[in-house]
Amino acid sequence: MSAAGQEQELRVLFAQEAEQRLARLDRELLELERVGGGDELISSIFRDAHTLKGSAAVVGLDDVARVAHAMESLLEQVRTGTREATSGLIDALLAAADGLREMIPAAIRGDDRSSSADALERRLLAATTEDPAPPPLLVEPPPTAIAEARRREQDAMLVPVRRLDKLVRLVGESEAARLRLGRTLAAEAGLDPEKSTEFRDLSLVLTELQKSTIRTRMVPISTITDHLQRAVRDLSHSLGKSVRWEVAGADTELDRSVLQQLADPLLHLVRNAVDHGLETPDERRAAGKPAQGMLALHAVQAGSEVIVTLTDDGRGIDVDRVRAQAERQGTRTADLSDEEALYLVFESGVSTARRVSDVSGRGVGLDAVRAGVEAVRGRITVQARPGEGTEFRIVVPITLAVMSCLVVGIDDERYALPMHSVAVVQSASDQAAASAGGRPLVWAEESPIMVSSLAATLWGDGRGRGGEVVVVVGDRPRHAFLVDTLLGQRNVVVKGLSPLLRASGLFAGASVEPDGTILLVLDASGLIKRARSARAGAVPAEPVDAAGDATPDSEPRPRGTILVVDDAAIVRQLQRSILERAGYAVHTAVDGADALERLSVTRFDMVLTDIEMPRVDGFQLTEAIRADPDLSSLPVLIITSRSSDSDHQRGLDAGADGYVVKTAFDEASLLDAIERFLGDR
Amino acid sequence: MRVLVVTASDSSYALEMASVQEVVARPLITAVPTQPAVLLGLFNLRGEIVPLFDTAMLLGVGATEQVAYAVVVTTARGTAALATESLPETVDIANSEPVQDLDAGGVTYAIDSRLTTLIDIEGVLEGVGASGDRE
Repeated sequence: MSAAGQEQELRVLFAQEAEQRLARLDRELLELERVGGGDELISSIFRDAHTLKGSAAVVGLDDVARVAHAMESLLEQVRTGTREATSGLIDALLAAADGLREMIPAAIRGDDRSSSADALERRLLAATTEDPAPPPLLVEPPPTAIAEARRREQDAMLVPVRRLDKLVRLVGESEAARLRLGRTLAAEAGLDPEKSTEFRDLSLVLTELQKSTIRTRMVPISTITDHLQRAVRDLSHSLGKSVRWEVAGADTELDRSVLQQLADPLLHLVRNAVDHGLETPDERRAAGKPAQGMLALHAVQAGSEVIVTLTDDGRGIDVDRVRAQAERQGTRTADLSDEEALYLVFESGVSTARRVSDVSGRGVGLDAVRAGVEAVRGRITVQARPGEGTEFRIVVPITLAVMSCLVVGIDDERYALPMHSVAVVQSASDQAAASAGGRPLVWAEESPIMVSSLAATLWGDGRGRGGEVVVVVGDRPRHAFLVDTLLGQRNVVVKGLSPLLRASGLFAGASVEPDGTILLVLDASGLIKRARSARAGAVPAEPVDAAGDATPDSEPRPRGTILVVDDAAIVRQLQRSILERAGYAVHTAVDGADALERLSVTRFDMVLTDIEMPRVDGFQLTEAIRADPDLSSLPVLIITSRSSDSDHQRGLDAGADGYVVKTAFDEASLLDAIERFLGDR
Repeated sequence: MRVLVVTASDSSYALEMASVQEVVARPLITAVPTQPAVLLGLFNLRGEIVPLFDTAMLLGVGATEQVAYAVVVTTARGTAALATESLPETVDIANSEPVQDLDAGGVTYAIDSRLTTLIDIEGVLEGVGASGDRE
């Protein structure tokens, strides 16, 4: 890739990372406003601003770096305690984050945003130099945070989903074509395709293309929860209510189009909850509840679906009012259970709001919410307890999800098992036959586990040699399955199966393989259920040892294995590409704690680490390495954007072997520094 | 009206061209456990995963011996394909008169002295799949 091309790629990567980091900054700043302080929280906010600055400088976005630097300076004062985190200060920081979100895509396109940067810098500076009365928070708050987010998104990209779908499919096809080309090269030209530079280049490009294409469609649910939080904050302030907003599972990913479709229904539910569900502090106190209401969003992936629940501890929907309202609309409710009656809130015209407000309560709303959820083939249910709260539960399919899977073989068939459901993998050959009550068992992790042949479970036949045992966990007791071969772990793009297939609960979906065949992705719970109910299969009397087909390692030996530790994905990526080009093998860790875990299982020749990182920072990491007898001689190179001498000294005191300053960070100086330690190997 | 004529167990059936996407030769089929025999399996149509049905079995006239072609159709429940043993042909039935009094499950035309029944793909696939027998 050309230098310009690489820089542009890094900038795009930076934009992605910045988006996440800014979203987290928003969240953290709101948290700071809520709790008023906390060393860890402030450090984390500081780190985000700091990393943003560093990464922006690495990719040459100076205006962005300038604003981030001003944020960092302000936060440094909060961190050291010379300034309080007033709401005016938080407003300035939130405004700067908003400004950066708008600036970054423009700056990457090459637009001049120095005047926006000036304005943001001035505002941040104003918050530093004096403590003015909090400037009026945006006179007119944006219509909704979501609408704002959507507008921004459209600024950046608006691609019809259909086109993205097609892109994903075609990328899969190009991979199949690559494999066919490889075979043709081998068969007709007698070339080993893996030894052909051109072929390897093509493979690399296609792999990148595939990754990027898939990434364009998958987004974490946090991309909308932060805006929901903003809506909760703004609305509760304007209504004089106090609401604690909680989110769990925000990193659950789902298809961008599904998530976008969910944004409006969720916003609607959130606003409903704040406006009608949650009481005023006085009402809550009178009812013996804490004055602060709670609104929680929880997201979790279950098989090929994502479940999102939104729970509040407010007054709860009054079923009798729903019945009365529905009766007035001409619906008979006498025969309906409470649960069924409650479901009527999703009918048009039924609203239980006691008053009509600008926010919600006009009787249009929940029917639109249901329509929005159903538009993405999802379903919504509601539960409510009078006086205790309401829970909405939305289940949507991940029409397109990437799952890390273990691919296993039976005969010439292949199946994928989601990695999160695989507990243990072991060879069947070192198993003594065991059984309990006539049912075959295997021992895994020192406990007996019921075992079935996967072929028998799926097909009810006796195929399969059963060389390997895979222990699977689902929502039932764990169960072991015998398979012939383990074909490796990889990321699989899972697609939902056609509704024209009979629903069996056995499959999480299917995927098109690089060679054009179809890989079925099994659902652990469904598989276990079937194995247990069918009493399927038995352990073959003498499992055949599948050993001896390990492929010899044909990769050239790397010059050394280096662990790159940095919390900024962009820096990890940059260092990885530089080091790999120079012939090193590279592993990465996202912070010091992650690095220590990796160091405990893998042998490295060198560690390159950043300083500012969450959990365990670069100094602490270096000290931990020096203190460990097994690692004490491992070379550690500190890479930092701090250029103060005291930091260098502190790094060397901690036991680092050297440091490279990030602003002077170029390929040659980094490689020079590394080769000084590894060169004579 | 133009139709695509397919053969299943020695009988001719016609599909409206409007519902036919394309015809694929010798699809590579992946069998799916736990499915009824009428589902022959799944195949990859340029990255899209398409279920392939045994046309003869769907129509209740026996079973398809060997899959030579898959007729890809668009249905209300997504893309599907019907397996045939011989190459389907396109015919214009604008000038053909429906044959009366034949209860063949659809309107029957005489095309080149062969009786061909026009099938309604939605009707034939009704009762197949998730909505037919959900667990």
